[in-house]
Amino acid sequence: MIAAAAWVCLLAPLVGVLAIALSGNRLSRRAAGYLATSSTAVAFAAAIVAFALTLSHAAGNRRTTTTAFSWIETHALNVKLDLFVDPLSLVMMLVVSGVGTLIVAYSIGYMDGEDEERRYFAYIAFFVFSMLLLVEAANFLVLLVGWGLVGLSSYLLIGFWQDRPSAIAAAKKAFVMNAIGDAAMVLAIFLLIQHAGTLDFVPVFANAGLLGMNTWVVNIIAASLLVGAVAKSAQIPLHTWLPDAMEGPTPVSALIHAATMVTAGVYLIVRTHPLFEQAPHVQQTVAGIGAVTLLATGAIALVQTDIKRVIAYSTMSQIGYMFLAAGIGAYGAAMFHLVTHAFFKALLFLAAGVVIHALGGEQDMRKMGGLRKRMPRTFIAMLIGAGALAGLPPLAGFFSKDAIVALAFSGGVYDKMLFAAALVGVLLTALYSFRMLFLVFSGEESKETHKQLAKHRGGEGPGWMMWPVAVLALLALVGGWLQIPGAWHLFSDFLGRGGSLAVTREWLLSAVSVAVALGGVWITWTIYSARTQKAPRAPKALVEKLYFDRAYDLLFYRPAVLLAHRLASLFEQQVIERSVEEVGTGALRGGRVAAAIQNGLARSYVLLVAAGASLVLLLFLIFR
Amino acid sequence: MLGPGIAWYLAAGSAVFAIGMAGVMLRRNPLIMLLSLELMLNGANLVLIAFARRHGSLDGQVFALAVMAVAAAEVVVGLGLVVAMARRKIEIDADLLSRLRK
Amino acid sequence: MSAGNILVWIVWFAAAVGCIGSALAVVAFRNALFSALALIGNLISLAVFYLLLSAEFVAAAQVLIYAGAVMVMFLFVIAYVGWDKDIAWTGGPSWQTLGGVVAAAALLTELLVVIALGASNELAHSNHVSADFGSPASIGRLFMSNHLLAFEVISVVLLVAAIGGVILGAQKRRDRKGVKR
Repeated sequence: MIAAAAWVCLLAPLVGVLAIALSGNRLSRRAAGYLATSSTAVAFAAAIVAFALTLSHAAGNRRTTTTAFSWIETHALNVKLDLFVDPLSLVMMLVVSGVGTLIVAYSIGYMDGEDEERRYFAYIAFFVFSMLLLVEAANFLVLLVGWGLVGLSSYLLIGFWQDRPSAIAAAKKAFVMNAIGDAAMVLAIFLLIQHAGTLDFVPVFANAGLLGMNTWVVNIIAASLLVGAVAKSAQIPLHTWLPDAMEGPTPVSALIHAATMVTAGVYLIVRTHPLFEQAPHVQQTVAGIGAVTLLATGAIALVQTDIKRVIAYSTMSQIGYMFLAAGIGAYGAAMFHLVTHAFFKALLFLAAGVVIHALGGEQDMRKMGGLRKRMPRTFIAMLIGAGALAGLPPLAGFFSKDAIVALAFSGGVYDKMLFAAALVGVLLTALYSFRMLFLVFSGEESKETHKQLAKHRGGEGPGWMMWPVAVLALLALVGGWLQIPGAWHLFSDFLGRGGSLAVTREWLLSAVSVAVALGGVWITWTIYSARTQKAPRAPKALVEKLYFDRAYDLLFYRPAVLLAHRLASLFEQQVIERSVEEVGTGALRGGRVAAAIQNGLARSYVLLVAAGASLVLLLFLIFR
Repeated sequence: MLGPGIAWYLAAGSAVFAIGMAGVMLRRNPLIMLLSLELMLNGANLVLIAFARRHGSLDGQVFALAVMAVAAAEVVVGLGLVVAMARRKIEIDADLLSRLRK
Repeated sequence: MSAGNILVWIVWFAAAVGCIGSALAVVAFRNALFSALALIGNLISLAVFYLLLSAEFVAAAQVLIYAGAVMVMFLFVIAYVGWDKDIAWTGGPSWQTLGGVVAAAALLTELLVVIALGASNELAHSNHVSADFGSPASIGRLFMSNHLLAFEVISVVLLVAAIGGVILGAQKRRDRKGVKR
């Protein structure tokens, strides 16, 4: 039964994609939206069924593998197309399909009237399918397939508005950077085949110890997996694609670049944690990357003027937290933060989408302001989102983020440094999230917003947009209550990965981080809301996004373009094009010669017959 | 059999045939072309008769008679065409009649 | 070499010279009339060959029908059309002349090679034939028995040719109002 539910969960969105794709114009645009939403809803229902059935099993017996068919069957390697349902994958399935359904429903309102709506819904359903394939995979190869398909969906959706060159460029950038990660993953897979002899999760992880501790094999495997995760989750140094990916429609940013795809890296690390535990240095690097990212991107978020970019940098920062948690072995905390982050980040994106939609496409926060009066419900939604993001109790983010902060404190020197970074990150988070909130909603309406809102005829947004926002706001409100320190640990119990501190210590640390967060809120309130202080000037380095884009441009992009141009002019045109041209003109010349035979003269035809006959006779003579 | 063997007759017949073929390919006057065509047919007839003698079977001679009859019929039609062309004052030149439509 | 043999060889050579020479003449003459007359010569030489090959009826038919009727028809048409026309001897695309000669020569060479190859084996001996080989009676008997179908088909062909000739030669008739039909 669990197996059936797993398959339904996986395949329902695929059915949706095929139905939309094959119906083409016969399907109305709205109907495509309904179809996509219902297919993801079916997936969610199936995920719930699987969840309930798995819960009914005893705690140690919660793994199910189901096979479709045998894919590769050789002497050396045996890979099947199978799905693996265990608590970890169930968590991801529920998040992907649940939040996915809400966002696809939201898209019905957001993308209303768009010419290519059907294509959008097909793509987004395809993404849900790919992501489910990734999380339900039972072996590395199926995971890689899902990984690649998710990258493809991301490319298709970022570049959805094909007539915008910036969107196309952003899609290419995302795909290329993801490709780096894919290559690294393949390397890891090769090594696993060679040294573990199998790619199935269960045996690989059970026998991870056989790979040795800190041997070069396991180090490279773990490092390669890390590179893949870094690329997919947009951590430093492979992070520059995510802000550009905001060129895609806002629901896409919500689903792919906040809630699900970018968290695939975290999922990967948590899933393969036995391998990481065999390579402790790599695992420490994981945490280090997380810490660096959360600081750097949090700082950059402070100076962003585009509302979606603030949220994008915030995503990278929060995933940094998850990496940090995974790096110190707090897998349960990492996954918990993944879940709550999905809620409030999607909420923030969707609420921002409502604002953007109401203002006719305006995304520059400097042109916004005073929207609180006109859009009260959106304001509340965003307030909940920002608060959850900053980690204010009793919202969801408080429980998940503070768990990470607290666990970081309990380690050695390195871990204490991580703790410091995490705490600074809390301040930064509060600063940028409330800066965004106040810039958009408080103060006076600017002239442009006034004009836009007047055009909008009041009303915050269509029902299809507002209801998912409401649901997500509720989840952001109460989602954290799954895991209250001292009371219960539903989440980590389910995952089977405990790890908790003494209760009082945890509450003390929480108090510290909440205080820090509130401090950040107060600072932004004075600057942006009450206007009692002037905003400090943004440092150039932050505005330039710490020069990463510039560096990559100089180091990689320009040489590649130069090389391509050289090759094109020297080789492609001279050699290849010419030879192809020769074939064409040669064919024409030959045709002209052949056409001369058809001159209409009877005598020439006789000549041809005679010539042919003598030739045949000659051949007969030769080959008697 | 007295005289030359069959091979000689065959050679002569082939020579006549080849000369006739050259005539068809080389001359532009349709009348001459028809005459060359007759040459080819006659060359083939000679070959047929020679083989009939070789095998002692009269079928070759019967075949040759049939060829003669068909050649006569074909000449009738060909000459009729030439006469029709002349009547309409069309140039009697095979090369100028290169388009089947006209 | 008996006297009969020598005689046959001499006759053969004479007929061969006449045959090939007249063939060349047919192709070479500019004047259509001369070509026709050369063809008549060719036909007569061939008739001699047929006689040497014991095909008496065919030889007679050749002279009577071919040289007698068909060629007369040719001469009539040549007389009607005219023979001193200013038609080029040959022409057409540049490769036509050379190609024609080459193709004919090649074919002739190949045929001669085939004949030469077989000259020592299959073509060496001829069967003995009876006295009435090639007589009208025997040929008539064949036409009426084995080759009856061919006989009938030939008559149809001749009929068709005759009708074709009439149609091709027909004048356009004008009815009373002078409108061409």
